[in-house]
Amino acid sequence: MADNILELKNITKVFPGVKALDKVSVSIQRGTVHALVGENGAGKSTLIKVLAGIYHSEEGEVFLDGVKVDLRTPYESQQKGISVVHQELKMSETLSVAENVFLGNLMYKGRIVDWKGMRQRASEMLRELGVPMDVTVAVERLSVAQKQMVEICKAINRNCKVLIMDEPSATLTEKEQSLMFNTIRKLKENGVTIIYISHRMEEIFDLSDHVSVLRDGAHIATLPVANVTRDELVSMMVGRAVAHDYPRSAKALGEVVLEARGIKRKGVLNDISFQLRRGEVLGVAGLVGAGRTELARAVLGIDRIDAGEILLHGKPVKIDSFRKAIGLGLSLVPEDRKSQGLVQIATVSRNICMVNMDAVSHGFVMDAARERQVSQEYVEKMDISTPNVETEAQYLSGGNQQKVVIAKWLLEDSEIVILDEPTRGIDVGAKSEIHRLIVDLAEKGKSILMISSELPEIVGMSDRVMVIHEGNLVGEFKRGEATPEKIMALCI
Amino acid sequence: MSQLTAGRNVRGRFSKFTKDYAIVVAILLLMVVFTFASDYFLTYRNIRNILMQTVSVAIVCIGQAIIVTTGEFDLSLGQNVCLTSAVMAYLIKFAGFNPWIAILCAILVGAMVGMSNGLLIAYAGIPCFIVTLGFQMIARGAAKIITNASPIAGMPEQIKWIGRGFIGGNEYGFPISVLIMLGLFLLFMFITLRTKFGRSLYAIGGNKEAAYFAGINVKAHRAVIYTIAGALCGISAVILVTRLDSAALTNGNLYEFDAIIACILGGISLAGGRGKIIQAFFGAIFLMLFFNGMTMLNVNPFVQDVLKGVVMIGAVALDVVRNRRR
Repeated sequence: MADNILELKNITKVFPGVKALDKVSVSIQRGTVHALVGENGAGKSTLIKVLAGIYHSEEGEVFLDGVKVDLRTPYESQQKGISVVHQELKMSETLSVAENVFLGNLMYKGRIVDWKGMRQRASEMLRELGVPMDVTVAVERLSVAQKQMVEICKAINRNCKVLIMDEPSATLTEKEQSLMFNTIRKLKENGVTIIYISHRMEEIFDLSDHVSVLRDGAHIATLPVANVTRDELVSMMVGRAVAHDYPRSAKALGEVVLEARGIKRKGVLNDISFQLRRGEVLGVAGLVGAGRTELARAVLGIDRIDAGEILLHGKPVKIDSFRKAIGLGLSLVPEDRKSQGLVQIATVSRNICMVNMDAVSHGFVMDAARERQVSQEYVEKMDISTPNVETEAQYLSGGNQQKVVIAKWLLEDSEIVILDEPTRGIDVGAKSEIHRLIVDLAEKGKSILMISSELPEIVGMSDRVMVIHEGNLVGEFKRGEATPEKIMALCI
Repeated sequence: MSQLTAGRNVRGRFSKFTKDYAIVVAILLLMVVFTFASDYFLTYRNIRNILMQTVSVAIVCIGQAIIVTTGEFDLSLGQNVCLTSAVMAYLIKFAGFNPWIAILCAILVGAMVGMSNGLLIAYAGIPCFIVTLGFQMIARGAAKIITNASPIAGMPEQIKWIGRGFIGGNEYGFPISVLIMLGLFLLFMFITLRTKFGRSLYAIGGNKEAAYFAGINVKAHRAVIYTIAGALCGISAVILVTRLDSAALTNGNLYEFDAIIACILGGISLAGGRGKIIQAFFGAIFLMLFFNGMTMLNVNPFVQDVLKGVVMIGAVALDVVRNRRR
């Protein structure tokens, strides 16, 4: 029997409408680097948050050093020796390095805070990690890499036995990365167990001893890295054959409706050009942060672009605000349904009629009866499950909320519909209904730009797939050519 | 199943109604208590007086309620009333303006102060707390400069009826100022509940980002409501000056807070996106009744100040508890 420092048994975490973790059981060996991989939304972050005491799992047990532990708050997790270096670092920016390292865990000399001792100790620890720095500097003046080191120091200072790192390399330069890898190796030598989350295959093979794959909230496999190839890992991540039948029928596409030429936004988008045809579903694949949402925002006039041109029906247009984009027949089903897509405390009917108020008003005055009637039509046509149109949107399930967001743009009759993660956090049944809606739109001659992290969805739905990586357009596949594996290989 | 949901709906609507208009019940209770406590309270004269005293602050309440609906507030409203009072009186008494032109100018100045607030908040992105607090001081200072800190009294007869006149004789007539106030409430009820503009305001109050992503011009709407609230301050000042026959530095003092308290008492959520401005009207009536009754019962005015604070905190606590239950 292996010497396991951490054992997770049957961890299940449910969010409204979606099972984020489904009976996940993983064992982590003491003193190893254990990689955790999976697509966006596979459940990695949720799992970490359970270990960090931020989320509470509905089911399942966590054993630390063979003892069952109850992780109810981040403080408890830390006390028990589990520390997390989050992707978005949460530090007291205005305090010094030394103060951050000892935050909540001050050293005392008698009853007086021992600043000198803490500065010395912090400085020593950083030197041991191979990153000497001035510990009196305020954290806000450090680079991301340095901040991560301070976070690691803080964890060590709390006697952490298990250090969880959530995509630490995502924002580092190459030189910083190799420095950090050295640090990780040093930590390992000192007996710290590391759980390492990354999308980058090279790192995983370089650094880790074991790797666990998560997919759709389920644990797929845990293997020694030596026993697995890169391709096997990718196919485990995307795994499933297309989960359900996508209702897409190949049709001849119409003329070019939207064309983007050389869209540039400094540090975000680098010279991206594409065409979107009438009746086409154009999928946009890529990792979170690759620039997919940013591309949509740039096209829609939400973010300013530094260079490039947008053409509608072959004519150049200047889109400098989202309102103007709407006027030109574009629309957006935003990524974050709860905070961007809907006014939660407004009724279903008001949400549906929020964009095209003209359709339900006479001049300035709203026609309440017409508003209800129109909303009722959409509720029936799109099979939105709600007690009635006067119910507040917040009481609907995720899938039905998303239908309400789409209904807004159906009422507006937008020619080009941009959907950003249209089925994220939506259960399987509602998902296929949304897919059906998207296909209907395309068949009615609308043009669809669909951003999605879910590869089977992208492959199943799209006539064409664009792959974006670090702000660049790195590949394009026709329908039939695209496979999850090929796309994933370009994403990472 | 459908019967079940229907039943829940009726109950839901009833509980929503009682929650939205709990303030009306509170007003009735208060009236009963004061009626027993004083013979004078429930006379036409007294009720009419209370209403007339409510008019100026109630008109400010309309503006405040609209702003609160979008999740913000305006601390400059009271001093805007003070400033526009001073502008109007000064123009009439010392600049020889036709009173009607002076009234128009007062309303315009009010609107301009409001617009300055709105532009800074919506387009420069400065928090409403800071901007409106700043304009509170600016307006007060400007009023002091204009009046030299002493009251300007004695308005011409041709406009006195606005604040003091009655339809149907002085004895039993109905106050014209109250009619103006009711008209304004009706107008703005219509605007907020029945127009595209109003619909957009509720969307903005419910979720600014989602409103933006629905193509609503969030910035422009925010700027406009502060302007409206400012213009209403001007109207409030006109009625106040003609009723009191004087523009003093006490005009409009603390109206902004009274208006916020009225909104809260009426049940308008400070978080935005919920509530009707008529609720602020009832809130204002409640406040006035409460303090009129206190005075009638000879409660020490200093104690009344303390009670005002208690009522305000109590009402906010109520709002918090209500939101938590949601």
